[in-house]
Amino acid sequence: MKLKTPLTLAALALSAALMPLAHAADEVLVIGVNDALTGGGAVYGLPQANAVQMAADEINATGGIKAGSTNYKLKVITSDDKANPTEATNSVRKLIDRDNVKYLVGFCCSGSTSAVASFMAKEDAVMLVGNAAERTITAQGIPNVFRTRPPADFTGSAAGTFVAQKGARNVAVIGALEVGFYTQYVDAFEKELNKAGGKIVAREAFGLRDRDMTPQLTKIRGLKPDAILVVGYVEPAAFVYRQALELGLNVPRYGFTSGSEEQFLKVVTSAQMEGVWDLRPTELTIEALGPQAKAYDANYRKKFNQSPTPSSPYAYDQVYVLKNAIERAGSAKDAKKVADAVRTLPIPKEAVMKYMPNDGGAIFDQNGQAYTSNGAFQWQKGKWVFVSELPSDNKAYSQFLRSIRK
Amino acid sequence: MNELLQQIFNGLAIGSVYTLVALGLTVVFGILGIAHFAHGSLAMFGGYLTFVFSTTMGLPLFASMALAMPVGAVLGMLIERLAYRPVRDAPHINAFIIALGLTMMLEGGNLLLFGADQVIIQTPYQKVFDLGGIFVAQLRMVVIVTSVTLVAIVTLLLLKTKTGKSVRAVAQNRHAAVLMGVNVNLVSSVVFAISSALGVAAGALIGALLALAPGVGESFAVKGFAVLILGGLGSLPGAILGGLVLGVSESLAAGFLSSAYKDVISFLIMILVLLVMPQGLMGKK
Amino acid sequence: MRIFNKSLLFSVAAVAGALALPHAFKSPYYIHLMTLALIWIVLAQGQNLTQGFVGYVSIAQAGFMGIGAYISTLLTMNYGISVWTTLVIAPLLTGVMAVVAGYPSLRVKGHYFSIVTLAYNMVIFIVLMTFRALTGGEAGIPDVPRPSELTLFGHVFSFEGRSNLNYYALALSVAVLATVFCALVLHSRAGRVMLAIRQNEDLAEAMGVITSRYKLFAFVMSSILAGLAGTLYAHYIGFLNPEPFGVDQSLNIILAVILGGSGTLTGPIVGAVSVTFLPEILRFADSFRLITYGLILVVATIFLPKGLVPLVASLWRWLRASQPIASHNKPTGKA
Repeated sequence: MKLKTPLTLAALALSAALMPLAHAADEVLVIGVNDALTGGGAVYGLPQANAVQMAADEINATGGIKAGSTNYKLKVITSDDKANPTEATNSVRKLIDRDNVKYLVGFCCSGSTSAVASFMAKEDAVMLVGNAAERTITAQGIPNVFRTRPPADFTGSAAGTFVAQKGARNVAVIGALEVGFYTQYVDAFEKELNKAGGKIVAREAFGLRDRDMTPQLTKIRGLKPDAILVVGYVEPAAFVYRQALELGLNVPRYGFTSGSEEQFLKVVTSAQMEGVWDLRPTELTIEALGPQAKAYDANYRKKFNQSPTPSSPYAYDQVYVLKNAIERAGSAKDAKKVADAVRTLPIPKEAVMKYMPNDGGAIFDQNGQAYTSNGAFQWQKGKWVFVSELPSDNKAYSQFLRSIRK
Repeated sequence: MNELLQQIFNGLAIGSVYTLVALGLTVVFGILGIAHFAHGSLAMFGGYLTFVFSTTMGLPLFASMALAMPVGAVLGMLIERLAYRPVRDAPHINAFIIALGLTMMLEGGNLLLFGADQVIIQTPYQKVFDLGGIFVAQLRMVVIVTSVTLVAIVTLLLLKTKTGKSVRAVAQNRHAAVLMGVNVNLVSSVVFAISSALGVAAGALIGALLALAPGVGESFAVKGFAVLILGGLGSLPGAILGGLVLGVSESLAAGFLSSAYKDVISFLIMILVLLVMPQGLMGKK
Repeated sequence: MRIFNKSLLFSVAAVAGALALPHAFKSPYYIHLMTLALIWIVLAQGQNLTQGFVGYVSIAQAGFMGIGAYISTLLTMNYGISVWTTLVIAPLLTGVMAVVAGYPSLRVKGHYFSIVTLAYNMVIFIVLMTFRALTGGEAGIPDVPRPSELTLFGHVFSFEGRSNLNYYALALSVAVLATVFCALVLHSRAGRVMLAIRQNEDLAEAMGVITSRYKLFAFVMSSILAGLAGTLYAHYIGFLNPEPFGVDQSLNIILAVILGGSGTLTGPIVGAVSVTFLPEILRFADSFRLITYGLILVVATIFLPKGLVPLVASLWRWLRASQPIASHNKPTGKA
């Protein structure tokens, strides 16, 4: 597209003349949210996008980002990747090429995020990943990719220790085992369970679209387990919890499903859910976190008229990571400088999630991975109640993650 | 043994829903020669509509379903008149492509009207009966009984009433039926009305027993065709038998072979039957 | 044949235009979209062989694309075979699988055939998703390699790095080859037989034609092109998972061919480009897009069974007020 030269010159002259009238070097910094805003992944993506907007508005209200002598106000543009790898590639290409975005946040869903991560090393950008739990995203060690959410197997081993401590020795697993990170959770869980002398007696699978798990549960019932572990998406998982009872399978039920009370109650009654455990990252659990979390919850409700999802703060924290890193680097124009600043950044004081410090008190480890604490939650009288923290070792896991880099 | 019987019972409930879906497909296919692939998505629409009636008007499952079925019947007749009738005399494949287009439209429409979250129709049938180690869920019994009733009604309709006779005449030989004074257009509308009403019922039952969500419709349409092919295209008893056989096979395969490949079973059965025994279990020719 | 010459002129102009395109639209984003469109053209030309020429609508094209993509990816990543080699091997192996699948299923006709191919696609998709040990399942396979450097006429073409221009050129070359291949088939004796089968299969058989051979040939060639498209796709995106190879994608391919005009050579090109760019031009939410696509499919089948390209061609003739050239496709109203 060729601009008409005289017109361009005139425009430039005019803006140069007007420059002193503008507020002292107040520039606009565009950040791009790439997330699943429609389709199946939207339950994760949309809240993240909201959280980013809220963080940006907060930052702008308190004066913006001070990078060296320039003051930046944040502008957020969103792009829908529909949790689809090809869409995600298109979406990020558009953000980088057409909208000149250097800072990408959001990324709720593993498939689409992996597709983008595979070309991110070549780009002049910084990518901060949220809810997407697939391990390889940070295992690859891409210098400009970071993730605020811990990989699933980090939680899996903590869960395994917990369930073994509860006395289970023959655990039947039913889950979305075609999905990599759920299987990684189960593998890590199994390792810890084996250490305590227990074993996994069954590994049954269900898909995202499945709602009838009675065949699998009937098979499990025949194996007489002393506990079942349900890992997977909340929609089918809710049916598993109900159908287990319908088949007379009355053993302790542990899970890694991260669903809200509303989502479960659509399918299963509170009485049927009583006593079910959820062993997952602590995420947005007000009782377990600090005043930031309370404020986040209240502000989110006021702004969007609904409660924030447990994983939405991953995206909120991403924006504050960017703010602090840009201020440390003293520039927003050099993406590589900012990436280096992110790498050594201490845990931002504005962060909502509880992060475990890595070497030097940094939020991210050598792989670009952050670690939030893990917790044991139990359904008690219609609500998920935080019972205790699951003991987790992020330094050990960080070494493990480094060791599997190809 | 207990496990086997439990799996069979579980499979019968889902199989009876497959039968309902297949019945809707077979009347259209057998009588009008149209592979009405959009039937699954229409069934979903009916299920969603039932859910809306039950939540906004506070009606129980069957009352909501009774309200939704005529709506579905009208929608089916509209689809016949506007989309299928123009290509009635064109090669059959055109009707199939239109069916694919209609599927996309209905899926898009469902998404627009009802959202992407899963929808479950609440029912009061929550009891579970323990019959000597086999756990019989009340809701599953209700589903089986409802399907059986609807199948019986439709069969009686087609065998005993005058309209039914006209419909069967068109199925046997359209041109002869025209010569005998049968109003073929009316028959086409009636067939689609019956098929769609059945579809709505199937959708409502799925919404009560399992859940309605994007994509479920397509999967049921394909399984419906698998039943058709298994039982024999155009055969009513074939659809009934085929539905139950498919439901139970899936349950047994998932229980005794592999749960991961559960859905593959129905497709493999379909491919095998089509290639080895194209007339199906009970089909003629 | 006058028609052939006119098409040739149009084709040369189109290729020249495609070569110049990246220099007009410098944005890497448009180059990216055009590359995808070119890959789609290969797919659509393949689909056209069965749908347009022989008249059998296969709903398995995306499934075969997936097979080609995975074969190539696994061969290059696990066995170190060069991408240039797998660009040839993967489509051929896909063709072999198509022979196995096609041989029995082509015995059934019309919509039975379509339903069987639908089942094939679903089986392929489920196996790709579930067989995690081999395919990585839904999590996918990252870091799929680009083709190695190519030295042609003293110039080095690299496919790594930020610019995707060279990959665009590769995709363009393959799309041109695919179209030329289909043109050769169309104008050969085999092509005429296939069109005869589409008109009236029983009549063709009565005339002594062994229709099964031609049907299988079309089906296998179609899947080879699908496998080729899949290979190009996997090594371009650099990340492979089963998601793009489901039934929905096969339906999109059918739509592309119908929209453009099945049985023509330019139809699939128009259809493929439209289907790639339509979501960008019409920035609708998913639900509207589905409804629009479905509506186009229904309306096109009822009113434009021969697609856009023949419609434009006849408009063109009408505008020039010359004698209508008898098309070698008798209007049967077949989609």
